[in-house]
Amino acid sequence: MSTITTGLNMGGPMAPPGTPEEVDYSVAPEQVSLWQDAWRRFRRNKLSMAGIVVFGLIALIAIVSIFWTPYSLFQQGLGDITDPFSRAHPFGLDASGRDELSFLMRGAQVALEVGLLTAVTTSVVGIAAGLLAGFFRGWVDTLISGITYIGYGIPNLLIAFLILFITNRPSIVNVIVALSVTSWMDMARLVRGQTLALREREFVEAARATGTKDFKIMTRHVLPNALGPIIVQATFLIPQAILFEAFLSYLGFGLPNPDPSWGAMVSSGLGDRFLAYHTIMVPALALLITLMAINFIGDGLRDALDPRQAK
Amino acid sequence: MSRGTATYAAKRLLLVLGTAFVVSSATFLLVHSLAGNPFTCERNPAGCAHEAFVHGLDDPLLVQYRTFMWNLVHGDLGTSYVNQGAQVTPLLLKEAGNSLILGLCAIIVTILVGLVVGIVAAVRQNTWVDYTLSSFVVFGYSVPSFVLATFMIILSAILLPNWANSIGWGSPEQIPIPAIALGLPYAAIVARLVRASMLDVIRQDYVRTAWAKGLTGRVVIVRHALRNALIPVVTIGGPLVTGIITGSVVIETIFGVPGLGKEFVNSILNRDYGIVVGLYTFYAILVGLANLGVDLIYPVLDPRIRYA
Repeated sequence: MSTITTGLNMGGPMAPPGTPEEVDYSVAPEQVSLWQDAWRRFRRNKLSMAGIVVFGLIALIAIVSIFWTPYSLFQQGLGDITDPFSRAHPFGLDASGRDELSFLMRGAQVALEVGLLTAVTTSVVGIAAGLLAGFFRGWVDTLISGITYIGYGIPNLLIAFLILFITNRPSIVNVIVALSVTSWMDMARLVRGQTLALREREFVEAARATGTKDFKIMTRHVLPNALGPIIVQATFLIPQAILFEAFLSYLGFGLPNPDPSWGAMVSSGLGDRFLAYHTIMVPALALLITLMAINFIGDGLRDALDPRQAK
Repeated sequence: MSRGTATYAAKRLLLVLGTAFVVSSATFLLVHSLAGNPFTCERNPAGCAHEAFVHGLDDPLLVQYRTFMWNLVHGDLGTSYVNQGAQVTPLLLKEAGNSLILGLCAIIVTILVGLVVGIVAAVRQNTWVDYTLSSFVVFGYSVPSFVLATFMIILSAILLPNWANSIGWGSPEQIPIPAIALGLPYAAIVARLVRASMLDVIRQDYVRTAWAKGLTGRVVIVRHALRNALIPVVTIGGPLVTGIITGSVVIETIFGVPGLGKEFVNSILNRDYGIVVGLYTFYAILVGLANLGVDLIYPVLDPRIRYA
């Protein structure tokens, strides 16, 4: 990690509180696939299941906000920022008298879009680079590992800023590109390590002996066996991306109006802190709950999927 | 330090220098390719052209690059275009001093809180203490630094009205709040790592032996277990430094600390070329040295690791 990353989850696993595994040896265990087994282990982790429920709700809100928000995002002067929460405005109003809930809903959409799309693009780039480096080794590995090493040395903020400045037009695509460029290295390193180990295994040798093409060995034999750690890492990329986007927006380099990023909402709320606290608290809590939910899911997935942890 | 370690360190130092060169060149070219220049041209086009001429900004980019790199090697980053023509190098050094104080205090917070929380959670595994601390840890690495800072300002305004009035920079009692806001998210990461690796270590035979010898709990945990448990934790030293620096961008803005943090954004906005390149090069070197330091600490903590 890191990256800024803020790289927020370069940690070893910390199992969230949950029930320890209990195995009943009195009956012969039925045969289950790796994924069924993982799902079973995942289900036992109550915090992760709660995370899934919360994440599902947020996703639902995000989808609804595409078609409907209680008020238009452009509708100003609905009331005053100091008005108490009411049935018409459950989360009150901002300084321009716009409905806070509507912004919050659209913010969920922005956060999930940025988080999910960045995780996908980052994973694709990182997996490709890692597979190539680990599988072909030699100069390919030297080149890719060299780029990752230098990439770690270059501040991700700088790259993000420069991309946003050079394109000079903040848009969701630019934010995603900026985030992807700065965070693919962790995934590349992970996949490279996995590939280096897997390429020596017998099934890869067998595939090679039967004349399977390199590309097919990589995608059909190596990649599926590395999928567990990759999924775990990709899950943790989502909160990282959301966090970084909120950070950029907070600094004023995120999405243009009226795309309401939660980070931008906190930032503008900070400006109105002498009038009311809810314009800071509401988006901040939304951000916090979303990130915690995804991190809990990631922890559960790590316990369920990461073979180093499987005991 | 063995000869192998020395060679290894020398190689890595070269790599750090290489990275610094790549970063400074790339930053220089990129920031010069941005539209606009440091001077406000709308109101005073003639003066603007004159300023650009005086500072050599009309020269071909490669000529500027050569001059700039030559000066950079000599530690001269030129003149700041925005801060009334101040010299960039002393300006950055002064700001770096403030950032350094804040950063070091934040790292102390990170290490203290991270170690204590991690150790206690591991020793009390699967009790309510562990559950509480673990939930706190997930909260810690989920909360964005700017949200935490904002919460802390509001909280301190409510709980410590006298203290809150002194938010700013200059006297020692103003340091703790920004340092905690900066260090706490990373403390959560450290705690998570310490807990995981402590759990690994306290199950090992030599720890059982230590208990069997009748040593006190403190000696077993701190002298025997913690020493080995720290090895994987040291890995995050590099990312930690990076994170503290990046985090300081927001924290310094919120708390009004006159440090490097605000320059990360402002210098690019102002097209203050010397500051941009100097700042990001400095940052790249710092990250490289932090990573190198981590790799050199490994063999001290674990004699089995050796650089041939």
